Amino acid sequence: MKRQIGRVVIVGGGTAGWLSACVLAARLPDLSITLVEAPDIPTIGVGEGTWPTMRSTLASIGITEAEFLAECDASFKQGSRFDGWVTGEPRDSYLHPFNLPADGPMDALLAAWRSAAPDLPFAAAMTAQAQLCSRDLAPRQRFMPDYAGAANYAYHLDAGKFAALLARHATTRLGVTRIAAHVTGLERIDNRDIAAVRTQEGERIAGELFLDCTGHAALLIGGELGVGWIERSDVSFNDRALALQVPTEPGCAIASQTVGTAHEAGWIWDIALPHRRGIGCVYSSRFMDDTRADEVLRKYVARHLPEANLTALAPRKLAFATGHRAEFWHRNCISIGLSAGFIEPLEASAIVLIELSLRALAENFPASRGAMDIHMKRFNELFRYRWDRIVEFLKLHYVLSQRSEPYWVAQRDPATIPPRLAEQIQLWRDQPPSNWDFPQVDEIFSAASQQYVLYGMGFAPPANCAASPAALARLAEVREQGRALASALPTNRTYFDNLAAASTPVAVMEKTA
Amino acid sequence: MNQHRVLNDRDHRELRVLTDASSDLGDAVMACLTVPYEFRQVQACYPIVFRRDLESDAFSALALFGFTNGENLFLENGKWDAPFKPLAQAIQPFLVGRPAGGEGESQVHVDMEHPRISTSGEGVRVFDEDGRATPYLESIAEKLGNLDVAYRASGDFYAALKRYELLEPFTLEVPLSDGSKHSLVGFHIINEEKLQALGPDELADLHSGNHLMPIFMALASLSHFGDLIARKNRRLTSG
Repeated sequence: MKRQIGRVVIVGGGTAGWLSACVLAARLPDLSITLVEAPDIPTIGVGEGTWPTMRSTLASIGITEAEFLAECDASFKQGSRFDGWVTGEPRDSYLHPFNLPADGPMDALLAAWRSAAPDLPFAAAMTAQAQLCSRDLAPRQRFMPDYAGAANYAYHLDAGKFAALLARHATTRLGVTRIAAHVTGLERIDNRDIAAVRTQEGERIAGELFLDCTGHAALLIGGELGVGWIERSDVSFNDRALALQVPTEPGCAIASQTVGTAHEAGWIWDIALPHRRGIGCVYSSRFMDDTRADEVLRKYVARHLPEANLTALAPRKLAFATGHRAEFWHRNCISIGLSAGFIEPLEASAIVLIELSLRALAENFPASRGAMDIHMKRFNELFRYRWDRIVEFLKLHYVLSQRSEPYWVAQRDPATIPPRLAEQIQLWRDQPPSNWDFPQVDEIFSAASQQYVLYGMGFAPPANCAASPAALARLAEVREQGRALASALPTNRTYFDNLAAASTPVAVMEKTA
Repeated sequence: MNQHRVLNDRDHRELRVLTDASSDLGDAVMACLTVPYEFRQVQACYPIVFRRDLESDAFSALALFGFTNGENLFLENGKWDAPFKPLAQAIQPFLVGRPAGGEGESQVHVDMEHPRISTSGEGVRVFDEDGRATPYLESIAEKLGNLDVAYRASGDFYAALKRYELLEPFTLEVPLSDGSKHSLVGFHIINEEKLQALGPDELADLHSGNHLMPIFMALASLSHFGDLIARKNRRLTSG
């Protein structure tokens, strides 16, 4: 049967556009999918961290892990480490790993941790993954099947190369049509639904459903349809970033996690790929000027990459608004990616929001124009919920800080804390974060994530917790599992060097064949 | 000169061992030594047959993985397709050693020429950074200890089999789906008729030496010949 909603037009390439094309084409192969992208607009290329969901996303669109790792200069990400967020003192560091904490009631586990291993950080007591992260170990061995691991993991990647791989995959293997053209306007039916996009090159591309993947420009949903923007900078202060890519020496260690290091008015991201580090200074222009941010960034690079040539570094400056659309889906147009919203990359929420949007769309694809309005309403409610939770979770990282610089004091001003977050923090004095606080099926930040941040930052566990024998046994198992995994897994460096050595002849053979 | 070394945390602090299943790593073998101590686990996966060493006239037991030299039908796409590996296979590249002179406490030796010795930085560490045994070495040491004790105890078992003449030569003709035939010769199995004919005193003697259970386990294991032939046929049709 022919679909009523059969032609999907994606405007904009980049990670959002090409991931949309791949997921929809792989999951709903009878759709006709066209992607229009301007040939000369560079992708932003800062979204360099994924979530573990990317493994099933890639598997579902039919890209093998070895191909992905090699093509995108990717590395493994097992979580995020936050340095200097509580006090800024030298040993101030905590980990938010992807593995869940040990199994069982969290209040008993907390008590077991305090009584049996009070010297261990929360994450190290709760999951063996902390040992892998502290030793720069890979989460898997090369002989394991694709996308399987001994610990939960995601990726760090080169966003430009990722978009290129997805584009090649979509057009050569999944039947997606690419049109290189500049979209200049829309053709609408009675000022309502979009009927087609028109290009500067004179083409008219018609469809029933349009995806706006045009990034910050939000050409369709913002520009043409005029859907409003909800500003969230009252809660999330950072609005600037200085981004750098620093080549690294062969053989250097590759960190297993994104490192976010707090500074006087923001923080610095540090993402290790096999041959370079992506480092960026995020800050609030209200509290720090660009010159000072540049200094802070260079000081970080000088300390962590002493061999880098500081004078050759030219950071790219990005200014961004924090917030999201009032509606993500409006009429027959859905915003996916930065056109839907943006917030600082503290917990790498950008790419996972693209995946979640596509999952919601692919599993609830409107069969008719009549059904579309119902799906639209549900989609908008779901993603408004998700944005609210993201804004709150990121704020949690600041609210629990004890730093004394004006920026950090302002972050703790009750007027800037969303009421739901304030209420939760009050409840968490009496009970640990649980599914009661996060009752949705696919919560973007589960209770486990909240626990890692909360107790990682030194929040006091509820006073009346008692350690159970079962909880003590679980923590002992975590220690043993940590010993076993730490001895069985290779370093990230070894993994990627051996992968490169093993795959080179194959690549050469393919090219000469 | 062989490359067997006494394992120690100074020379082998950084040693890593490749633990995946692969013909490159020495897994392409049609059989490996097994001991009565583990017959219960072995019989759940593999046929157990016996072989007489022509020089010493001593018997030993083998777990069979295939029908011809170098053929391991349990090795598939980098996986060992069975839940249990006989100890003698699982401990590689380690072996039980004795101090010079041959007497005294057994030691963990390692064959530094074994293909499982890693040179790539991948594989499982034997000692951690501080020189403590890893869980992997702990489990290897336990297996080696068990194998050593069980191997030395197996003399009594074969003496009992000899006493009651319970082993008989065995030839298996294996008709394969492509019309060809394999024959397996030179092995022995338990003579079931003689076993059934034993009287109460003889059975009590075998039982008191803990030999009765492994005898029945070895008998039961022969049902896996059907499985082994099926694996061979699958390989013929797919390859």
